[in-house]
Amino acid sequence: MVSLSTENLQIGYGDKTIVENLNLQINKGEITTIIGANGCGKSTILKTLARVHSAKSGIIYLDGKMIHKVPTKEIARKMAVLPQSPEAPNCLTVYELISFGRSPHQSGFGRLTDNDRKVIDWALEVTGLTSFSAHPVDALSGGQRQRAWIAMALAQETDLLLLDEPTTYLDMAHQLEILQLLEKLNREQSRTIVMVIHDLNHASRFSHHMVALRNGTIVKEGTADEVMTPDVLKTVFQIDAEIVKDPRTKKPVCLCYDLIEKEQSLDKRRVMNF
Amino acid sequence: MTQSKAKQKKFIVLIGLLVILTVITFIISLNLGVVRIAPLDVFKTLLGMGTARDQLVLVDFRLPRMILSLLIGAGLAVSGAILQGVTKNDLADPGILGINSGAGFMVILFIYFFQGSMNSVTTFGIFLMPLFALVGAVIAAFLIYLLAWKKGIDPVRLILVGIGVNSGFGAAIVIFQLKMNPQDFMQAAVWLSGDIWGANWKFVAILAPLILLLLPLALYKAHTLNIMNLGDQVATGLGIRVEKERRLLLLVAVALAGFSVAAGGGIAFLGLVAPHISKRLIGPKHQLFLPITAVLGSFLLLLADTIGKNLLAPTQIPVGIVVAIFSAPYFIILLMKAK
Repeated sequence: MVSLSTENLQIGYGDKTIVENLNLQINKGEITTIIGANGCGKSTILKTLARVHSAKSGIIYLDGKMIHKVPTKEIARKMAVLPQSPEAPNCLTVYELISFGRSPHQSGFGRLTDNDRKVIDWALEVTGLTSFSAHPVDALSGGQRQRAWIAMALAQETDLLLLDEPTTYLDMAHQLEILQLLEKLNREQSRTIVMVIHDLNHASRFSHHMVALRNGTIVKEGTADEVMTPDVLKTVFQIDAEIVKDPRTKKPVCLCYDLIEKEQSLDKRRVMNF
Repeated sequence: MTQSKAKQKKFIVLIGLLVILTVITFIISLNLGVVRIAPLDVFKTLLGMGTARDQLVLVDFRLPRMILSLLIGAGLAVSGAILQGVTKNDLADPGILGINSGAGFMVILFIYFFQGSMNSVTTFGIFLMPLFALVGAVIAAFLIYLLAWKKGIDPVRLILVGIGVNSGFGAAIVIFQLKMNPQDFMQAAVWLSGDIWGANWKFVAILAPLILLLLPLALYKAHTLNIMNLGDQVATGLGIRVEKERRLLLLVAVALAGFSVAAGGGIAFLGLVAPHISKRLIGPKHQLFLPITAVLGSFLLLLADTIGKNLLAPTQIPVGIVVAIFSAPYFIILLMKAK
């Protein structure tokens, strides 16, 4: 199985440094989620791990090798990447999209072998899209479209899956459907999954390991029980959160929360009014 | 699977249909012109049994011009298709990116500075102007790439810079054109609107191998283009070296456009319209889309040249203008349909 870790990673855009001294260890066979406020560097970290963005300094190790020294096609056979809301060209069918996932295993022309077809059929089945294989991707619903993209990443047959907000723009049921699919892939095929996710309760419910970020540095990492605490959430999101146990999953959930700063200013206004 | 087989079948039918249409246009075009030659005489002449006059008109004037328009049509169309794929923008074509106007600018300079002193009947003179055009196309492409480079090439930036470079060269062209004498001005205007003026066999001999070498190279990159259409991030994730591939593909597109423009002048719209129509016909898969685009480009340019040659005969309308006249309404209809 493939491992992924970073050593003193420094990332930024132009002169601006966004992430400093990141030492991240992705555990094999686990689901790791990265949480944090908007602009804290979650997506940037994921993009850097995915070699879409290059780090200013520091090293990323994939399978024990420095990632920038490995040919990108070889990386693509070990690690699949799904960016935030990707777009397919018009009229591209689901089958064609998924078939692109085979390209790291193919030579230049992209001719599909019998084995490629088998893998594509499996990816269609596991994402429940078999009957949609001839449909254009742009005619699918949001949830189906996201599953089609995940199917493409699955067709890559990698141990590692990196996903940037795979549930954004989906309704509650479809969010759960995607996450349960990922959980199933993790459990049944022991795929290592790293994802950025906004919904804390989903992160808590589905991940073995959570990484909480603030301004590009890790505030706290560990199990959901360790990370989903009022203290951590206060530091990460500046919220005053009420954490309870989910009666069904026994995982911590954020029942309700208030903004810390805003509440103070409201108090001030109240004082001024009276 | 059945669906991809159906597409394959549609592809063969379409290619066949386009080739037949091209052949028909080719035959008609052989007969028509300022001098009309009956089909039987055409046949005789091609077999080397025609009159000296027919021989001259057909073999020395008409045939190289038609073959040239087939080559240029395919070159510009595929260049546009690649540019649209690489920039992920359906509006990209060599004209909009300033490659045409870069070539045009150099040609204007050539006419402005050298025309009087150069005897253009000599072999050297004939090839000097297209050479200037080619240099201009390459300079424009290099300039666009240089200005758009910011730790890699962002497709949107590339288009915007291209539009800027295009207007820059356009302005420079006007400045020099206004200072020209009427005769040079005419020649410049005809070149800029696109005209297959260099119709002789020497051009065909140079252009044919170049275009016929670049087209298969583009086709070889079809799979890469398919994946690059998914966006830089996905393509990288799938193991494509996006920056390197984009550079190579831009180079192929610029070379195709540069050679085509060098021989055919600033033919606008073809690089835009041919990929558009062919995408509507066959879809975005480049293995099918590129060949259709090439044949369609050839057909359209040959048709446009045949029309331009005959519509107001003996006056010839530059082929680029015919293409524009037919393309503009097509795009307006498309926009109206798209709402």
